[in-house]
Order: sequence, then C-alpha cells, then structure tokens
Amino acid sequence: MNVIEATRLAVESIWANRLRSFLTLLGVIIGIASIVATYAVIEGLNKYVEEKLSNLGSGVFTVQRFGIITNRQQFLDAIRRNRPLQREDAYAVRDRCASASNVAWQVRSTADLKRGANELLSVEVSGITPAILEIEPYEVADGRILMPFEDERAVPVAFIGNDVAERLFPGVDPIGKQLRIKGTPVKVVGIAVKKGSFLGFSQDNFVKIPYSLHRRLYGTSRSLRISVQTEDGSLMDDTMDEVRAVLRARHHLRPGEEDDFDILTSAGINDLWKGLTKTIFAIAIFVVGISLVVGGVVIMNIMLVSVIERTREIGVRKAVGARQRDIVQQFLIESVLLSCIGGAIGIAIAYAAAALLNEYTPLPAQFPSWAPWGAFLVCTSIGVFFGIHPAKRAAKLDPIEALRTE
Amino acid sequence: MSEPVIRTEGLTRSFSMGTTTVQALRGIDLTIERGEYVAIMGPSGSGKSTLMNLIGCLDTPTEGQYHLNGIAVAKLAEHELARIRNKEIGFVFQSFNLLARATALRNVELPLIYGGVSPRERRERAAEALREVDLDDRMDHRPNELSGGQRQRVSIARALVTKPALLLADEPTGNLDSKTSQEIMALFQRLYEAGNTIVVVTHEREIADHAQRVVTIRDGLVASDERNDERGAASNSAPSGAGTA
Repeated sequence: MNVIEATRLAVESIWANRLRSFLTLLGVIIGIASIVATYAVIEGLNKYVEEKLSNLGSGVFTVQRFGIITNRQQFLDAIRRNRPLQREDAYAVRDRCASASNVAWQVRSTADLKRGANELLSVEVSGITPAILEIEPYEVADGRILMPFEDERAVPVAFIGNDVAERLFPGVDPIGKQLRIKGTPVKVVGIAVKKGSFLGFSQDNFVKIPYSLHRRLYGTSRSLRISVQTEDGSLMDDTMDEVRAVLRARHHLRPGEEDDFDILTSAGINDLWKGLTKTIFAIAIFVVGISLVVGGVVIMNIMLVSVIERTREIGVRKAVGARQRDIVQQFLIESVLLSCIGGAIGIAIAYAAAALLNEYTPLPAQFPSWAPWGAFLVCTSIGVFFGIHPAKRAAKLDPIEALRTE
Repeated sequence: MSEPVIRTEGLTRSFSMGTTTVQALRGIDLTIERGEYVAIMGPSGSGKSTLMNLIGCLDTPTEGQYHLNGIAVAKLAEHELARIRNKEIGFVFQSFNLLARATALRNVELPLIYGGVSPRERRERAAEALREVDLDDRMDHRPNELSGGQRQRVSIARALVTKPALLLADEPTGNLDSKTSQEIMALFQRLYEAGNTIVVVTHEREIADHAQRVVTIRDGLVASDERNDERGAASNSAPSGAGTA
C-alpha cells in the first residue's frame, strides 16, 4: 500500500472521530502555540530593544554611577564604591577627552506638575544639556527643542512629552504657556512627537528642562548620566579608555583599584538583554516540552484505543492481504498526521496571538518564519515516537483472533 | 494435469493450553482440484475452523504439508502469507466484515490496494466485480445502507476482485434469513459454473448440499468425503458416525 492511500485512510479515520481527535490534540496545540507565541514575544522585544539602542547611534556610550546590576552583591559593592557623578566630572570629560566629539549629560528626578488647578503626579523631570538631544534625538511635534544658551543661563523653559501636553493642557496649545515645577513657573517651548507606550509604560510622560535649572530646583546631590559620542564608531574603545583615565585621575583612584563609575554601551546592554531573554526562552522550552510530552502520551493513548476499536478492521485488512508493515504504516501515518494537525492549529493560534498582541497590547511580537517548519519537524517526531508502539501492536494482532472479536 | 488448488498431506495443528496440548487437527489429507465446489462440514469442535484458517493461510500448520495452487505455504513467513492471501484467496465471512465507513466500491477495492494495483485499474476491477454480483447500482452505498444479502454480495465481490485461485467462505449464510440464503447459494452456484474453485465451511447440511462434494471433519480427521452426483441428490446421505477414528 502506498503512502497516498495510507494518508487517505488516516484522514478518513481522523475525520470520522473529529471531536475525539481534536480533544486528543489539545496538548500538542497548546504546546506548539505557547512556544511559538513566547518566541514571537521575545523576538519582538529583542527587536524593540535593538531599535531603541540603535537610536543611540553608533559610537555612543554613557557613564553613570551604577551600571547594570544583576545581583545583590554587585549592588552592595557598587553602593559602597561608586560615588555620584558631579558636574565637574562631566566638565572634565568634555574638556579633556580629545576623541569625544560630543559630551552631554542629564539628571533625572520625579516631580508633580501643576498648571492652575490641574495637577499631574509623578512625571519624569530631567535636567539636560541641550547637546544630549543630538545624541538621543526627539522628534519635535510643535515648537522647538532646548537651546544651549538656555542651559547657560538657567532659563525656565521646558520641552514636554505628549502625555504631559494632553493632560496638563487639555484643549489648549501648550506652546508659550506655563507650568509649575516645585512652584517655579516654567514656559513650554516644544512638544515631542508621541512615542506610545512600551510594556505598559508611557514613553510620553516627561518634561525636559535645562540642566542648570534642574540644579537650581533640586540641588547638586543627584548623580549625572554622561553621554559621550565619538566621531568614529571604531574608535569607541579608545574614547572609553580616555574617559576612564580622566575620571580615575579626577577621583584619585590608584592603579589596581576598581572604577567607581560604570560605562555602558548599547552593545553591552543588548548582550545582557539577549542573555536574559535566552534564559526565559530556555525555561519556556522546558515547560512547553512537558506539555508536548503529555500531548504525545495522549496521542499514544488514543491510538491504543483506536487499535482496540479497530481490531476487527485490522483482521479484515490482514485477511485480504495487508502485511504487518502495511498496518504499521497506516497507524503511524495516522498518529503523525494527528500530531501535525495539532501543530498546524498551534501555529495558527500562535500567529493569531502575535497579530493580536501587536494590535491590542503594548507587547511587540514577531512571528518567527521558521515556526511552521520547526513545528512540523517536532510534531512528526512526536507522532512517530508515540505512535510506533500502538502501530506495532496493531500489526502484530493475530488475524484469526482479530476477526473473531466483536 | 494441472496442479490441484489445495493439496494437504498429514496436516496437523495443535495448540498448547497451559500444560496440556490440544490437537485440533490430527493429519488431514485433502486434495481439491481446480473448478471444484466443496463443502467442509463438521460439528463445532470438530476442527473445521482450524482447517479453514490453515487453508486460508491465516495460520500455519504444526506439521504436514500444504500446497496452495502449487505453492508450498506451510513454512512461509508472515509477509509472504499476506501476499498469498492477497493473490490466491478470496474470503467470504459469516458476518461480512465490511469496513463500515467505506462505500461498497471502496470495500471491494481493498484487496487491490494491498496488491499494489493502480487507482484507475482498481476502480474498474472493483466495479466489474460488483457487476458480477448484480450490485452495480449500489456501488456508492455504505454497508449500513445495504441489506444483509447485499452486504454479503459486496463481500463476495471483494473476494472475487483479485481473481483468486480459491474462494473460501465461512458460514456465508449464517447471518441471513432463508430466502436471502437461497439467493447467496444461487450466486455461489453461478460462480462455480463460471469456473471458480469454491470451498464453503458450514455446519448446515442444506448449505453443504449445494456443493458438488462434501468433506466431513470430525475430531480433527476427515470422516467422510462424498460426491453429490447431482445438485441436491445427496440429501439422503445424512452425516453418519462412519469413519471416525
């Protein structure tokens, strides 16, 4: 008997028991759907992060008090060792690092904004040197970005995010209007283009004011984040060494002592992120693997039931000339087909889930193009692995006994 | 003279049941020529089912020789027996044994599928076989849409479709009323007259009387082997105890 015939038989048999077949496949469907959906979300996040980081532009790194801290000991060490970065540190980097083409800094705090009776709580207020907008550009929807002279003279002006504009100035053009930060009136000069939210966090809930103004409002104790841009991305390592040397000298660190600051590059952040998501995916694979094994066992079980139900049919087939291998082939194709149908449904669900996530949630998701092939391979293996035992059992039935059963 | 369809010598079959061994057949010598119509009779427990399984190549003998259409089949392997069943034997069962989900045509095609016949030829030959049993208007019906007699005719068409050397029927009228039984036996008569070799296993004298020759099995041996001179002429030769070992 050829494969086409056997496949036709398998389709007929699965179709004849539609509901049972579908229920049998739930394990495989859920397994495949969740693994592909998980991967799609992680891929989407990776792509998002990469895009975010490439926004920084090549050849950009930042110097800050704390880098990425992944455990408690690192945290304790860093707290003890690292000192807040001061304006003088930033000046030193700007003035003494020849290979840095652009040096800018910012400091962040959270404040409640007021405009008349309107109040907006917990808004990110950062003090920036306007050059930072060249390194981390914001698209301007209306008005303009901050000017260097405004930083030099601590002019009370602000460049605000879309959320702040909409919620603090409902129905009003905010340009030229004032809002109050810690009681100080600040004039809005520009609004950024809406960025939307990421992972449920709004990216438009910010106010940027000149660094000098921020310093006047909040004092000097906050640590700066210094962004450094090199003219040529390939020279970034040299520039990093230069910055490190300048800061170590300023902080009077002896050779052998660790840096009391951290340098972050977009590549470094990306690596760390990738490592993190890889771990998440590995755990997901493991969990889903269990569901696939369960799915396989269920398929084996239903195939064993099917063999018993069809004992007489097997007897007839043998009587009219089916060899053992014909029977094995028939049942194996049925279990593989069953499992692959589950995989296909799972893939369809994952595809739909990815599309829905993109449409209706802040989670970015990217359906991986290899998923259908991967699922096909996995499901074929499941079908063969869990189908071979029932198929062999069917093939080994004694035709005389089989014909005698009711 | 051509090779007989069935030739057995000292055919023995024993089954071990726990510690004891039961001898179902104790040395059957039987020769059936091409074109014969033979009934194998015997009460239950006589060994006639065991003999039928051996003749049908569903089972292999413990000892003895069995030549089917010139082929020594006693020592064949499983896949070779499957091939013999496919090419040389057409089974007709008491309970029809049709596949419930398949149409009459598909049921008749079944042996040809395992025989590796191409789909087009398969359909033609299956349709032809159904025509032979006067069911050409029921090809697309499923077994549950057919009467008992029609079902048995489908199963006869399935048995005939490979043009086997032997048509082997096990109580073919056991599940049918007497009128339908007569129809089926008339069909066997027609097939016999068309030159088919037919072996019918039955415990009913009336059915056996349709055959040209009646072999009676008792206690695992051939008890009698009689020829009906004319169809129905042997109705007075009721089974006797003669010849029992």
